[in-house]
Amino acid sequence: MPTLKPVAAPPIQGVVPALNELPGFSPGDAIRVGVRSPIGHYRVPIYLRGKTGTVVQVIEPAMVDNEAEGFGKNAGSKRHYYRISIPMTQVWADYQGSPRDELRIEIFETWLERV
Amino acid sequence: MTHTSHIHDDGSHHDHDHPHAEISVGEKPGYYAVMETAVRELLIAKGLITANDIRHQLEVLDSRTPALGAKVVARAWVDPGFKARLLADGRAACEEFGISFYDDTQLIVLENTPAVHNLIVCTLCSCYPRPVLGLPPDWYKLKPYRARAVSEPRVVLREFGTIIPDDVEVRVSDSTSAVRYLVLPMRPAGTENLGEEQLAALVTRDAMIGVIPVTLDQEVGQ
Amino acid sequence: MSGSEDLVRRLPNDIGGFAAGSVQRVEHDLLPWEKSCHALADVLDFTKIINTEEKRRGVEALGETMIGQLSYYERWIVAFANILFAKQILSPTELAMKMAEVEARHVDAGDARG
Repeated sequence: MPTLKPVAAPPIQGVVPALNELPGFSPGDAIRVGVRSPIGHYRVPIYLRGKTGTVVQVIEPAMVDNEAEGFGKNAGSKRHYYRISIPMTQVWADYQGSPRDELRIEIFETWLERV
Repeated sequence: MTHTSHIHDDGSHHDHDHPHAEISVGEKPGYYAVMETAVRELLIAKGLITANDIRHQLEVLDSRTPALGAKVVARAWVDPGFKARLLADGRAACEEFGISFYDDTQLIVLENTPAVHNLIVCTLCSCYPRPVLGLPPDWYKLKPYRARAVSEPRVVLREFGTIIPDDVEVRVSDSTSAVRYLVLPMRPAGTENLGEEQLAALVTRDAMIGVIPVTLDQEVGQ
Repeated sequence: MSGSEDLVRRLPNDIGGFAAGSVQRVEHDLLPWEKSCHALADVLDFTKIINTEEKRRGVEALGETMIGQLSYYERWIVAFANILFAKQILSPTELAMKMAEVEARHVDAGDARG
């Protein structure tokens, strides 16, 4: 299906984007979900820590990181986040179902490592 | 204390005495209802919110039911251009259709096809496409569905009477952030002669969560 | 990982993949106070007095015992109270006195009928 939304292109010559202005990952990139254990508030479920998958989509617009938003931050320092696809057989060692079954989830850039 | 029925987080459904009895006319409100009234009235007295803000939001909530989502689905079934826009940007297409989004959420519409079956869940809380479906049912917010939909979706689907063949991919979307999902179910066979409104009448809330398909049986009794 | 560490590192709402019973298709029409609580939550988010993410964090902070025993909107209103105390918008005594006042209205109404 052709996308109907304009997609941002890499900056043309002479255009310098701000730090963290452009998403660091693109659709198709292989990623691993971080394995750290923040306390207090997080939105990356433990069942996905350390799992590897693929970026499906960059979600626009960038948002306030929900680990900061949970403590009252309502603006500033927006982060890119991404729709990620992970095979169910990756997530659950004993998964019962088709090997093509997938989990999809949105994760902030701060949690993604390039594989 | 009134004998009341109460749904627990683990999904069990006990009948027992509880301090949070249902309110009926002439009955004293329960502890938590009193707390809600007190918090609301204090915030209004301090000028932080107004009674009208609350009254208006109650009207907003009352106006959002699965009938809206059903209209979106039926339109997508009859209008390929709309369907393409809906799949490209769910929120923008719903807004184009006249359904406003009263919160900051985005909407990703997930198309069920003969090759892919989508199911939505929020394992961490109860994220749900409220602007287009209204408030979620209790089972969506309770532990059995939240815990198991991501690890054994086919077993959970069977509990709803839905058998997905092995050659169909099951795709579970777990909502954690500002993105909400709506499942665009498959249009059932035998509906070629139905109009948009008749089609919308077939589309149930549970089909837009992805736990059941849309079937012609739904028409019975409507 | 020791048992006590896990209590800190895993939020009590983080249950994806846990063993659980079969899905019972329970639902109920919201009670008037529950609906009012939902409208309050939305207004608190619109005004950013308590944003949605703070509400989630506030519910998590109630801990497993309360999360298990309070119903959905009971968790919300208790979380709101705690967050409003933390932000010094309300004080515990202020809320207690207001709750006593609200309760007294209904006692009075009952007496009047009697």
